[in-house]
Amino acid sequence: MSTQSLILVGLFWPLFPLSLVFNRVHALLGHAVPRAVLIVIWPQLGLLAISRADGPPPDWLVWWAVLSAVLYSFRILTVRDVYTWVGFLATAQWSLLWLLPDAAWSEPYGDPSTWGSVLAVAAPLALLVLLAGALDRRFGAAYTHVYGGLGVVMPRLSVLLTLGVLAAVATPVFPTFFVLLRELLSAPSVAVVAAVLTAALVWSWAGFRLLQGLVVGSPDPDAAVTDVPRVVAGAALVALVGLLVAGIYLSGEIA
Amino acid sequence: MEKLVLALPVLPLLSALLMVVLGPTRGRGVVRISTGAGVATLLLAGVLLWLKLGGAPSSTQEIGRWGSLLFDPLGLLMAFVIALISLLVRVYSVRYMADESGYVRFFVVLDLMVAALLVMVTAGDLLVLLVAWHLIGVLLYLLLSHDLRSTSAHRYGLRTFITYRFGDLPLVLAALLLHRAYGTWSLPEIFRLVQERPDIETVGGLPLVEVVAALVALAAFARSAQFLLHTWLPYTMEGPTPVSALMHAGIVNAGGFLINRFAPLFVHTDQVLHGVFLVGLVTALAGSALMLTRSDVKKSLGYSTMGQMGFMTMECGVGAFSLAIFHLIAHGLFKGTLFLNSGSGIGEARRHDGVPKDDMYTFVIEKQPQTKRYPWLVIAVTTTLVPLAVLGLAHAAIASEVFTQQGAVVLLFFGWVTGARLVVSSYRMHVQNTWRLGIVIVTSFTLVVIGYTAISHSFALFLYPDGMVTQLYDAAHLGLQTLMVLLVVVAIVGLAGWASAHYVTRGAASERNAVSRWRVSFYAALSREFYVADAYALLTRGLLSASARVNTWLRWG
Repeated sequence: MSTQSLILVGLFWPLFPLSLVFNRVHALLGHAVPRAVLIVIWPQLGLLAISRADGPPPDWLVWWAVLSAVLYSFRILTVRDVYTWVGFLATAQWSLLWLLPDAAWSEPYGDPSTWGSVLAVAAPLALLVLLAGALDRRFGAAYTHVYGGLGVVMPRLSVLLTLGVLAAVATPVFPTFFVLLRELLSAPSVAVVAAVLTAALVWSWAGFRLLQGLVVGSPDPDAAVTDVPRVVAGAALVALVGLLVAGIYLSGEIA
Repeated sequence: MEKLVLALPVLPLLSALLMVVLGPTRGRGVVRISTGAGVATLLLAGVLLWLKLGGAPSSTQEIGRWGSLLFDPLGLLMAFVIALISLLVRVYSVRYMADESGYVRFFVVLDLMVAALLVMVTAGDLLVLLVAWHLIGVLLYLLLSHDLRSTSAHRYGLRTFITYRFGDLPLVLAALLLHRAYGTWSLPEIFRLVQERPDIETVGGLPLVEVVAALVALAAFARSAQFLLHTWLPYTMEGPTPVSALMHAGIVNAGGFLINRFAPLFVHTDQVLHGVFLVGLVTALAGSALMLTRSDVKKSLGYSTMGQMGFMTMECGVGAFSLAIFHLIAHGLFKGTLFLNSGSGIGEARRHDGVPKDDMYTFVIEKQPQTKRYPWLVIAVTTTLVPLAVLGLAHAAIASEVFTQQGAVVLLFFGWVTGARLVVSSYRMHVQNTWRLGIVIVTSFTLVVIGYTAISHSFALFLYPDGMVTQLYDAAHLGLQTLMVLLVVVAIVGLAGWASAHYVTRGAASERNAVSRWRVSFYAALSREFYVADAYALLTRGLLSASARVNTWLRWG
């Protein structure tokens, strides 16, 4: 793989410090919807870049990708802005796409499970950004550990946030878990596997910290907020069910 | 009929889905679906277990291309126990949780947990096992943190979750190594291939079987609160009582189950079971010591479970795998009863102020010394020989082959010490007729030992009919030199205990000297729970602080 191709793919399947570009663009988009669209499109652009690339990546690059993932996983532990949190998690998970099997590099669009995997990783993150948008509209900002107690006053949004975070942090039966497993199966060494698993452990830790700062606690008695409408909640639930189905499908691909 | 094993997890799953769909319109009454599904699951698990006991052959039931469930003795026995305990917990929760908010949500998560547990115990391939193993950690967090206003419940729930996630990692690694080596996820297939080719090497030229067994054991340690991975267990009492019952009666036992599930792998190991024994021993001792020093009854119960889990792990470590299963079932029923009865106990104490001063209370709580003393030689001979005779005769009559197994003899030694302690305790009780009490206690002890021996022998025959029991004992066999060292250590600990008791009895403990200073330091370590939780808290703070610092440096993206 030439340096030019490497930089191009490294921009969309972010390698630090190229990852700064995605996070900057993501931060500049103020609204939740364009952010969600960006999250869906960005890694697919990486796949497009691979289809134009000349050959597979060098072996040493795997460690660069894994260390980028570990760095961003470590960073999400203390991020309070939900948008930034999702952006960092996306960076970490997309870095690991470099671990996908060789077939993904030779024929990125030859196997539907390759672009399907890329989409499956992005979809829960996009959903989470949309849910953060619901918080943003009600409180003026989507911050964890600021208002809290949403579980009591906004039960529908709380359930969706919980399921959304679970899907995003690679909980089975959601698809990210099986994509992660697929990446691990083609990891070149046990050390890489251990590093990736540690990153995945940190995602869970950070995810539950995020939820604790939003859902748990006593709500502010003066805050007059309304829950998400039933229709919106229903649509989000359908999306989550879709993710479950996608996860079950991907599990069959691995088995 | 064997195909019905696929329906086991479907029943609680369906119940959870129905409650989600019908809950908003039908209200709280939908929890009847959960209890109904519980009854149906228990009946089905009972029928399947009955079939297996009747001699139906073990088989693997495929779920399309998505995995498989096993129709085998271990899975069916555990499924029956889970179905039984979960039904009791559901019935109990119907009234116990009635005043709580999120009533239906609790039953939904509870049913999902039961489904995940049933999938775990019957999983026929590594993928299904991994999914269920992971989901149990998530669902347990949701159950423990049921009260959305309680930040402490969530904090301790998170501690549990992180420990469980830590335990997931070695299992994932073990699954990947096995898949790479044998090219399949199917457990029966892997075990067959291990039997054929046990000497395959893995990373760094290490034997694959040893590495995988060590990883499986590590996953089991996290799940069963073994020392250094135990700090979550005593702090999970913030969750609802039915969850505590389910956790202490079932979920925490998953470690013992996992080691048993991978028994065909452990028979080919040389060293791993010795490590398992050591970890179990340290956990049993630490858990029991910490239990004795807690003034908080709930934490005390938590540490009691930790001690029991240590003993269960120790049983696996000496090769007594089937005994560990019997132990975890017996402990589960016993501890579940304790937790479910705790509300009545508290209610009774509130209604009747003051504790009745009967013989048992005086004996257990006040620990008054016996006024009438018998010659020490009589007591020494009675306390050592009576339990030895009971244990020896019971095993000789029911399962004489245990005397040829080193691991069984080690466990018999523990039984002997327990029996001796029981006889000593009876000597210290205040009663009118000492002889009658003695006869009652020895008879009870004999019945318990005979029952225990007969049931554990039956368990061994049911779970491992192919003679794997002997192979497991052989894999856990310690060299003569190591055994001698262990015996010397045990003897020294015993003597130190007697010396310590003598030291305290003669009042020397109040003197200021090196020994009393050491005792105070030891007590301080016990009261701080060996500083393990403090070390984790320090590590957590350090990691969060470092993460915040990195975010400050890289603030632009």
